[in-house]
Amino acid sequence: MMRLRTPISNLVAGWVVAVHLILLPALYFGLGHIVRTSHADLFIEHARTFARIIADEFEVGAALETPARIADLLDLAMIHGDGSYAELIYQGHSYRSEIGSRDITAPKEPDLGFDHGGDVTYFIVLPIVHRGMNAELRLGFDERPTQQRIKLAMDRMFWLLATYLSIAISIAFILSYRLSRPIQRLKQVSRSIASGRYSQALQVNTAIQELHELASDLDHMRRELVGVNEKLQAQIKERESAESQREQLQQQLRHRQRLETVGTLAGGIAHEFNNLLVPIILFTDTALQELPAGSASKPDLERVLTSARRAKDVVKKILMFSRELGNVNLNPTDLRGVIAEAITLFAALAPPSIEIRTEIGDHVPLVKADATLAVQLTMNLCTNAYQAMRDTGGILTIRLEAAATGGVDLIVSDTGHGMDVQTVERIFEPFFTTRSVGEGTGLGLSVVHGIVESFGASITVDTKPGAGSTFTIYFPTA
Amino acid sequence: MKSVLVIDDELDVRDAIQRVLTRAGYSVRNVGTAEFAFAELKQIPADLVITDIIMPQSNGIDVINTLRQQFPGTRILAISGGGNFGVKAYQPGSITTTAYLAAAQKAGAHHILTKPFESKDLLQAVESAIGAHAG
Repeated sequence: MMRLRTPISNLVAGWVVAVHLILLPALYFGLGHIVRTSHADLFIEHARTFARIIADEFEVGAALETPARIADLLDLAMIHGDGSYAELIYQGHSYRSEIGSRDITAPKEPDLGFDHGGDVTYFIVLPIVHRGMNAELRLGFDERPTQQRIKLAMDRMFWLLATYLSIAISIAFILSYRLSRPIQRLKQVSRSIASGRYSQALQVNTAIQELHELASDLDHMRRELVGVNEKLQAQIKERESAESQREQLQQQLRHRQRLETVGTLAGGIAHEFNNLLVPIILFTDTALQELPAGSASKPDLERVLTSARRAKDVVKKILMFSRELGNVNLNPTDLRGVIAEAITLFAALAPPSIEIRTEIGDHVPLVKADATLAVQLTMNLCTNAYQAMRDTGGILTIRLEAAATGGVDLIVSDTGHGMDVQTVERIFEPFFTTRSVGEGTGLGLSVVHGIVESFGASITVDTKPGAGSTFTIYFPTA
Repeated sequence: MKSVLVIDDELDVRDAIQRVLTRAGYSVRNVGTAEFAFAELKQIPADLVITDIIMPQSNGIDVINTLRQQFPGTRILAISGGGNFGVKAYQPGSITTTAYLAAAQKAGAHHILTKPFESKDLLQAVESAIGAHAG
């Protein structure tokens, strides 16, 4: 069922107005009736008493003796009794006072009620017995002065009640406003809380005790809500961070597992190649030595040997990724010297379109590393950065700084084309390359990965397509 | 003339080694398994045994241990390009070529050489292995 809803101020004022609109007319008409009746009663009482006195005067006194006396008494009745009509029927004669209106005629029936008979005169007819003779006294009293008094009283009452009504309505509006204002305020604040602004205090300035208590109870609830909400938010944040950490770890694990699988495969193939290369190299070597001088086959065999040596080199790199690095000598190493050497070597190879910047910190602790491999690692990272910028040119920045957690960060960043997520996930796999066939082996970063692993260091990549790449290698302290 | 016995499961590898050493003036025989090697050595001893470490039917480290016990006068050159005892050998932290050769040296090999190698590396290694004995 629908229920009409209205603001409390309208409700209270509406009720007050409605009640008064019903009660006040009732009061007005009720009181009016009483006023009218009492005025009428007084008027009738007065008229009757006065008529009786005049009648007694005629019965007892000598007023009936001459027509002049009759006229005098009738005039007296007119003057002192607010009469408008005075007549005496005596011995077949009608004596009428000269005072008053000639237009008034006495009704055939005695008019005994006030405001009856459609005129403004109240008639009284009294029989008179004087010395055995019968007479009839007819007196008419003007009702208008009394009606005017009634009207004046009614008008006064009307204005009094109207004034009362307007004061009552004003008070009702003021009261309902004072009642509704704190409720409105409560409503605003609770809506604001509902929309998530929990910090707003629920305070209302009111003299109404119940509202004051309601507000402070609600504010208490709000404070508890804020506490619970903050706790929940903290829990959610904690859970999210744990979740993202778990996700990150899982991703790292997957990545590692894939690299290991690839490493296993690559390692197996590399070892097979080591065995295959032995007869290729040795037989070709021997054949070369046994060739007669000036043989046309000599350059061919030399090319076989060159290719076999290149194959040997590739296999060595694959094994580096598979962490078979040969003799790794992990010693306390000053990376500043290592980086300086690598930059010198790389600068000789880099085209002028690449600007090389170095930022080497003053306090760089010694780290656990193999200097030769660390140079190779840096070179490979620089080469990778250069290749990302070869078409456009750009800035290669090499930074070396003490890490916040101890150890040293080597940061190599470029302003090249950057990488998407799919590429980043595979960059450390051997033979994975985004370059065209024939432009590099795709082993550079896998070798970096192998060296990093052998140092017990870690490598992270920060990159976005079009926004360059930053490789950060964390070396633990020696 | 110094005599050399080559043990390697790869025929091409041991033939190639034999070819280079024969040409350099050594008397060279080659076999594919440790069993054949010991049978051969019992008949005709060798000055130097060149043995692979990872072979499908033999373990080079065992070969070296046996040689050291039964043929103490024989010099040993261990060669390896890695290989595997199964896929697990390539798990992270597993034994690597370097580790194999270090193990061989510890078992008593007089010299070690990583595959692949060139003729001159092989001849140098052989000379070192035998020379150490002479010295």
